[in-house]
Amino acid sequence: MKNEDKQNVCKENVYSSIFNDYSKTIFNYIYYKFGNEEKANDAVQEAFVKLWENCSKVSPAKAKSFLYTVANNLYLNVIKAEKVRLKYADKTLKTTNENPEFILEETQFKEKLENALNGLPDNQRTTFLLNRIDGKKYAEIAEMEGVSIKAIEKRMHLALKNLRKKIDGI
Amino acid sequence: MQENYLAKWLNGELTEAELKVFKESEEYATYKKIRDTSEKLQAPDFNMEKAWESIENHRVQKAPKVITLAPFKTFLKIAAVIAVLIAGSYFYLSTLGVTVITELAENKEIILPDNSEIILNAESELSYNEKNWDKKRNITLDGEAFFKVAKGKKFTVTTEQGSVTVLGTQFNVENREGFFEVSCFEGLVSVTMNGQETKLSAGYSLIAINGAVTKSEVTKNGQPSWLNNESSFKSIPLKYVLAEFQRQHNITVDASQIDDNQLFTGTFSNTDTDLALKSISTPLHIKYELKGNKVLFYEENAP
Repeated sequence: MKNEDKQNVCKENVYSSIFNDYSKTIFNYIYYKFGNEEKANDAVQEAFVKLWENCSKVSPAKAKSFLYTVANNLYLNVIKAEKVRLKYADKTLKTTNENPEFILEETQFKEKLENALNGLPDNQRTTFLLNRIDGKKYAEIAEMEGVSIKAIEKRMHLALKNLRKKIDGI
Repeated sequence: MQENYLAKWLNGELTEAELKVFKESEEYATYKKIRDTSEKLQAPDFNMEKAWESIENHRVQKAPKVITLAPFKTFLKIAAVIAVLIAGSYFYLSTLGVTVITELAENKEIILPDNSEIILNAESELSYNEKNWDKKRNITLDGEAFFKVAKGKKFTVTTEQGSVTVLGTQFNVENREGFFEVSCFEGLVSVTMNGQETKLSAGYSLIAINGAVTKSEVTKNGQPSWLNNESSFKSIPLKYVLAEFQRQHNITVDASQIDDNQLFTGTFSNTDTDLALKSISTPLHIKYELKGNKVLFYEENAP
């Protein structure tokens, strides 16, 4: 028996640590899918309130996939994806000593990339961004999406291929 | 190149040889740019504290529910079982309905919810369901009864030997062991015996003795004689006559010394025992001896 399994999600400290670990990921996940911050916030709230209501039935080990499933099902076929707006990490810009031309070029590329991202199918964009921004491993993304790791690799491969095609204007 | 090599490359899973080939390809520059640029992207700000607060609010509202739900559930289960039992027994009891029984030498008059009248002859049992009376006029009869049925939905009298269906009329049903008689005094009744339906119009009666069916006449718009405290018979085997006598006078009959299959036509009083015995014995040329609660019949010329 793992110590974790003996813990109950109904316990305040267990619940709040689950929140700290996964709330941001769920927010990003739903945002990458639908490009809507409000909906992403709602999904976080919905998923965690549901988790609390079912805290006696869901073990801490299962909490993660429970949250993903609730968040995922919330907008299933209900809303249309909007444009995803991403920020460019300010930190890297400030600390570089690149010349202005380079910065301009890079900003342009970022715009191209963002446009290309919005042209991707939802599942490719979500997979790509979860990996690139959140640093999620393929295995974890597979768990979130409820598909195999191989399927995620395929999505990632296609995402990169499609992005390049769009950016290079082929 | 292996399958999904772009995904493998991002994950650093390409072999050195594969990486070398990939790096030499035309597209590599763009792929590298995509990788490096996408690394610097950021999702919109997520206000974790605010999210936590709003969830807290929901949890506070839901918290008592969560705690009380588990014990409450068992209570609900028990309550549900009890409710089902109560409802079930209520419906069961309501289907049982009303039962009226008459003893030997006793008649009873019953007024049904729709003002139909039933007069129940001696040693008979009748039951019906008061609850659904308007929808289903159904009577179960064991014995003999006279019916004055008010107009309305189909009125059915069910007995072991057959059923009688009417709409609104006056008729008599006698259901005794081996003997089944339906007499129609007004309107039209339908008698079903062994799956066979017979229509009986006013002024006729149908008699089935051990399954043998005969039709005879009765007085139109009349009444069965027993309502006037008399029992009338027309070519009926003596044993059924004596059985009726036994019921009406509460006297045990011993007919072992006479032929009780001979036919009897006549009437006896249901009130005056002596007169009744005379009415039975005289036409058949038999004698009787009444001792207390018992009567013995014997042949006239017997020793």
